[in-house]
Amino acid sequence: MAIVKMNKLSLIGLETDKEKILDALMNMGVVEISESSEKLTCDDWKDLVVQDGNSEKVALLDDKINRVKWTVDYLSKFSSKKKGLFSSKRSVKTNEYNIILQNAEKLTSIVNDINTYNDQLTYLKSERNKYTNLILSLEPWKQLTIPLQDTFTSTTTIVIGIVPQTPNSGKLKEDLLSEAPESYLEVISEDGQQDYVLVIYHNSCEEAAIKVLKQYSFSKVSFKDLEGTVKSNIDHAQKTIRNIDKEYEDLEKKIAGFANYKDDLETLHDHLLIERDRIKILDNLVKTSKTFYLEGWIPAELSENLNNRINGNYECLLEIAAPEKDEEFPILLRNPKLVQPFEAVTEMYSLPSSRDVDPNTLMAPFYFVFFGMMVSDAGYGLVMAIITGIILLKYKLEGTLAKMIKLLFFCGISTVAWGALFGGWFGNILSLLSGDKLTIKPLWFDPLQDPMKLLIWSMVFGGVHLFTGMGIKAYMLIKDGKIFDAIFDIGSWYIVLIGIVMLFPGGTIAQIGKYMAIVGVIMLVLTQGRDKKNIVMRLLSGVLSLYNVTGYLSDVLSYSRLLALGLGTGVIASVINTLGTLFGLNIFGIIVLVIVFIGGHTFNIAINALGAYVHASRLQYVEFFGKFYEGGGKRFSPFKKNTKYINLNDKEAI
Amino acid sequence: MGWIEYLFNGNFLALAGAALAVILAGIGSAKGVGLVGEAAAGLVTEEPKRFGQALLLQALPGTQGIYGLLTAFVILNKIGIVGGSYTELTTQQGFYFLAAALPIAFVGLISAISQGRAAAAGIGIIAKRPEELAKAIMFAAMVETYAVLALLASILMVMGIKL
Repeated sequence: MAIVKMNKLSLIGLETDKEKILDALMNMGVVEISESSEKLTCDDWKDLVVQDGNSEKVALLDDKINRVKWTVDYLSKFSSKKKGLFSSKRSVKTNEYNIILQNAEKLTSIVNDINTYNDQLTYLKSERNKYTNLILSLEPWKQLTIPLQDTFTSTTTIVIGIVPQTPNSGKLKEDLLSEAPESYLEVISEDGQQDYVLVIYHNSCEEAAIKVLKQYSFSKVSFKDLEGTVKSNIDHAQKTIRNIDKEYEDLEKKIAGFANYKDDLETLHDHLLIERDRIKILDNLVKTSKTFYLEGWIPAELSENLNNRINGNYECLLEIAAPEKDEEFPILLRNPKLVQPFEAVTEMYSLPSSRDVDPNTLMAPFYFVFFGMMVSDAGYGLVMAIITGIILLKYKLEGTLAKMIKLLFFCGISTVAWGALFGGWFGNILSLLSGDKLTIKPLWFDPLQDPMKLLIWSMVFGGVHLFTGMGIKAYMLIKDGKIFDAIFDIGSWYIVLIGIVMLFPGGTIAQIGKYMAIVGVIMLVLTQGRDKKNIVMRLLSGVLSLYNVTGYLSDVLSYSRLLALGLGTGVIASVINTLGTLFGLNIFGIIVLVIVFIGGHTFNIAINALGAYVHASRLQYVEFFGKFYEGGGKRFSPFKKNTKYINLNDKEAI
Repeated sequence: MGWIEYLFNGNFLALAGAALAVILAGIGSAKGVGLVGEAAAGLVTEEPKRFGQALLLQALPGTQGIYGLLTAFVILNKIGIVGGSYTELTTQQGFYFLAAALPIAFVGLISAISQGRAAAAGIGIIAKRPEELAKAIMFAAMVETYAVLALLASILMVMGIKL
């Protein structure tokens, strides 16, 4: 129940103080600076002010940030430290931070160096490819002893080329010699598809020779830029490749030598990020030649502090006021530690709007109970709680991920409790192994023996859940001064529904229930059409509103999933146990049991935890939130130092 | 005319019910999971990092198959084919089991395919807005409600049959 109240603030200050004031605001990190561009179109202001901002510098910094980020990512390939599954931010002390930033020049030059080295690596890679390809294309000509630049003598022409192999390509030599007797042909090599041939002919019979060669689809090959024999060229290329490889290695070593600077570069990255944000926020400001104007939101309880800090130090006009009655303000939730993880569930749906009640405190216990009921195996709960507990202890997580893991931790505990109540410890593994001698008795009852009992209880829990949701709606109506709406819309349904429930036990209670239901129905018929003018229409919409009872019925029935999913987990667990013990308790059987037990139950935990998460959320979203929740709030995002890699310990206390 | 006798054998009918639950719900899940898988593969080609999220969505229509197996197992357990002693059923009892298996068999078949469609469309959500995974999951999960209800009906029926 805790949406933090926000105050609206507007500030007019001197251009000369702008940087200092923004600095102060950023260090405090409690003010959201919203766009004041509407002032640009508003009649009183539009001739006086222009939009502030420096998009060129932002773009420049963005480019720099990208380059540093690329370098950090690049260096992490060379870093010896392995990244864990969950990365958390390092904390950096202010003086360390300052020392690192004094070296900013050097770090920037390192970034440039690494960029250059990488360009060189790319170049070397393409060079290496070039030479590898050259070797491949020279390979068939290895046996050719004539230097490649010699393509003629004073009276002859020397050509090399490829002839595709066909059934009669063997006759080429014969034909050539008969048509152009002053010629010579040698097959240097062949690869099953082509013959690589050397042809020398006397210039006097050039025409005849070319004609024959054409018949056999001879295509000329030339190595224009090469000199010397093929073999010497191949040797040279191989030597060059060896040199390239060495150079490549040297460069990589040089880059790896910079790996130590990765941490410093991360700091630089975050520094640039803060710098960028500081300039980017100017877009939200408007200015004249000598002054600037900003507006935004601040949590109401901090208003006084801000006022003291800004008004005391700077010549400026700062106004802090409560928002207008229906004005929406950005949402900041403040809940007890135990409730915080459950905010993740609400946030997935939508943040509350500023008119809503924060549902988290009321929703949390239901989510906790429902999740546990749907998994309902103490062994599974232990596994979940222990794994998430270890993660929470080992990593310092932030944001939604931290909330989700904590949520799973709590839900694990709930699962242990419900598992103990229903007597499920990894299904029925203990009684199966001990031949029914050892069993863990359920603290309450075994749902497999009496599913109807649990079905009724599921609906009872569901009823409580629904009534809570309706209660919140009534509370909201009363808060808005609509007491009659609360009595007519919610109160009459309370009477009807409670009356109907009282019909079930029978006896005098049922009699009372009957009359309650009738009274409630009459109230509904008389009041539900109260916004209609025509008396007939009023009664008609009153009667029609009774149809909503089917809505409540389906809402309540929806909670039968608590039973179904709980039974499902238990039955699948016992299937796994039965399969595992099929081979008895000999050595082979025990090996099978261990494998089936671990694999099967891991699978079952995963699929059921997912199912329980999904269905527990659904019960909140559809059945619970449907009764009162509006949603659609915008998150409060204060102007502060946002970082990616490091946590800076320099928060000014406020 | 021995085969007619076999056809109306109580145990055969009960087994046929169990088989139907596994077969139909299994077909539905296979189809549903396949549908999501196709959509997910398209996404992962572009964004290999979304594999985990896509897999989560793909797993959703898989539950119907599990519910079918679960119902079959409850039937087999009740008539003593798995664990416990083997019971000879009358034809009437056999039909009871067959009827009890029908809800999860048919609802499982259809709902798994529909859920697969919803989840495949959800892949589109996480392609553009990966932070909205939960909403994609919810849309698919709304369909699953009916499979859960059918499972509940089947299990309650099986448990309620007097032997």
